[in-house]
Amino acid sequence: MRPFFGLIKKIIQTGIGRTRLIMATVGFGIAMLLMLLAIQVHTDSNQLLYSRKNQNETADFLLINKQITNAMMGESAKSEFTPEEIADIQKQPFVEAFGFITSNKFKVTAAAPGDLHFYTDMFFESVPDAFIDVKNEDWKWNTGDNTIPIILPNDFLNLYNFGFALSQGLPQISQETVKALPMKITISKGLDVQEFSGRIVGFSDRISSILVPGNFMEWANHKFGDGTVTAPSRVIIKTKDPSNPVLVKYLNDKGYTTNQDKIKHSMTILIVQTIVSVIGFFGVILFLFALLVFSMFIQLVVVSCKREIQLLVTLGTAPRQLRRYLMWQFIPLYVITGIVALLILAGLQWWASNVLAANKMFIDPMLSLVTFGAAVLVLLLVYLVNQLNVRKYVGEVS
Amino acid sequence: MQIQLENLVPIPLKDKVLQRSSDIWNKEVSFTPGSFVKIKAPSGTGKTTLIHYLYHIRYDYTGKVLINGKLWQSYNKELIATMRQQQVSVIFQDLRIFEQLTAEENIELKRVMIPQPYCTTEKIREMAARLNVTHVLAQSGKTLSYGERQRIAILRALSQPFQWLIMDEPFSHLDDENAQRAADLIAEECRTRGAGFILTDLDHDSRFAYDTHYNL
Repeated sequence: MRPFFGLIKKIIQTGIGRTRLIMATVGFGIAMLLMLLAIQVHTDSNQLLYSRKNQNETADFLLINKQITNAMMGESAKSEFTPEEIADIQKQPFVEAFGFITSNKFKVTAAAPGDLHFYTDMFFESVPDAFIDVKNEDWKWNTGDNTIPIILPNDFLNLYNFGFALSQGLPQISQETVKALPMKITISKGLDVQEFSGRIVGFSDRISSILVPGNFMEWANHKFGDGTVTAPSRVIIKTKDPSNPVLVKYLNDKGYTTNQDKIKHSMTILIVQTIVSVIGFFGVILFLFALLVFSMFIQLVVVSCKREIQLLVTLGTAPRQLRRYLMWQFIPLYVITGIVALLILAGLQWWASNVLAANKMFIDPMLSLVTFGAAVLVLLLVYLVNQLNVRKYVGEVS
Repeated sequence: MQIQLENLVPIPLKDKVLQRSSDIWNKEVSFTPGSFVKIKAPSGTGKTTLIHYLYHIRYDYTGKVLINGKLWQSYNKELIATMRQQQVSVIFQDLRIFEQLTAEENIELKRVMIPQPYCTTEKIREMAARLNVTHVLAQSGKTLSYGERQRIAILRALSQPFQWLIMDEPFSHLDDENAQRAADLIAEECRTRGAGFILTDLDHDSRFAYDTHYNL
């Protein structure tokens, strides 16, 4: 077939509008690059988010509450989670474990023993034990026990030691000292008063609240509470990845807030993903225009050589041969463009992986299979559109 | 390959054709494969039209042109192309040479149109020598004289395998001596292929040993 195509080449001039074809090809190359870039960056950012290499912890805990707005002030019910909302949170895919935070329904005061003259109103909360990062044998309470184990947030001690104590000339205290200090805890409801001895058993980095064992809270709420069951206004979830954009989006959509620092990373990635999505979108638009120009170019070639093509067919050239010839004029161009785009992208990826590795972030130095797949898919689409056009226009003149 | 005509009447010439008697128009004709057929036709009787009907590049007729018992219209484009490459060859009155190709490329185009060419390049050159056109082979189709074009068109038609050769005034631009050389070559090539031809011309001639004569 080769010598025959060599002769056809002299008859069917594809040289007309060569600049237009080159420009369309360049456009196609850029479009391809943009689309593949978008896909590759998505893969990379997912890798940054989910890959084990990039995770310092395998799971994280988030305290979630509703954002307190001015409109809600004074109406505490508005910050409570309804059963429907709770069920909805529980069924989200990123929630691995879920727990309520229960608050006290009674008055609590704490006083330091001896001559320290320390007295304060305070509150308790409780969470299921599985969510507590302090493992301690003393963390238990049985009905009738007079000593309540208490977990304080680490931040609390820090605030005291580095903020309050220094400025007030008070002594800084170590965790051990705090643990050794017995506190006098008074629980009351009206005239019903009961005294306990409180013992700090640990400090939590995870939950910034003053925690007591769940069964104590239950017992005390029952005995000293007003009998009503209030809905929780804070919940705790365990999640594999607090940076998961799905989680962040869910929280934003629902108007919930959590420790923003933990999800900041995800916001950055979300922004990057949005930007590359826009880039990819423009890539698609450019690609469609390139396809249009290719189609018009094929039409131009066929129509401008209409007489020649008709004579070729009269002499016995099969439309199939003409189609194959025309396809051969374009397809290598597309394939080469696709390969060049992939090579450029591979270079960029390798470079990016080096730069990120220097910052302890790891992405694959090679292009992902998805990107290759997308490139093949795009080329296949171009091939099909060309095939369709060639078939149409050759069919019209032959 | 069997060619049959059934009540073939060209629509533009309908009145004219039906007024006079013809051996072809509006008759049942069957061309015997392998036979040399001469159709003598005065000007304006639809000679070229008939050739185009036989080669299936014009379709404005009533009646039927049957190829192997089937209507030309029932063959698809790819099949028609295969037949034009392997079974039926043509020499047009208007020659139809590609001007952007050289004389030799014009022949080569037809020779290599099929994956396994029927003739070798040497064979083509030998035939070209017989028709006295060796010296123009490298010339562009644009610069060829009509006589040269006609001989190139003949060589082009002979470069492929065929069972029928359809010719429309194939010697109109040739002198008697060159016409006879061409006729001898055509007859020889038809015999080696066991093929027949259908030739239309204005006048009576004895360049071939015709098996059948028709008046259009």
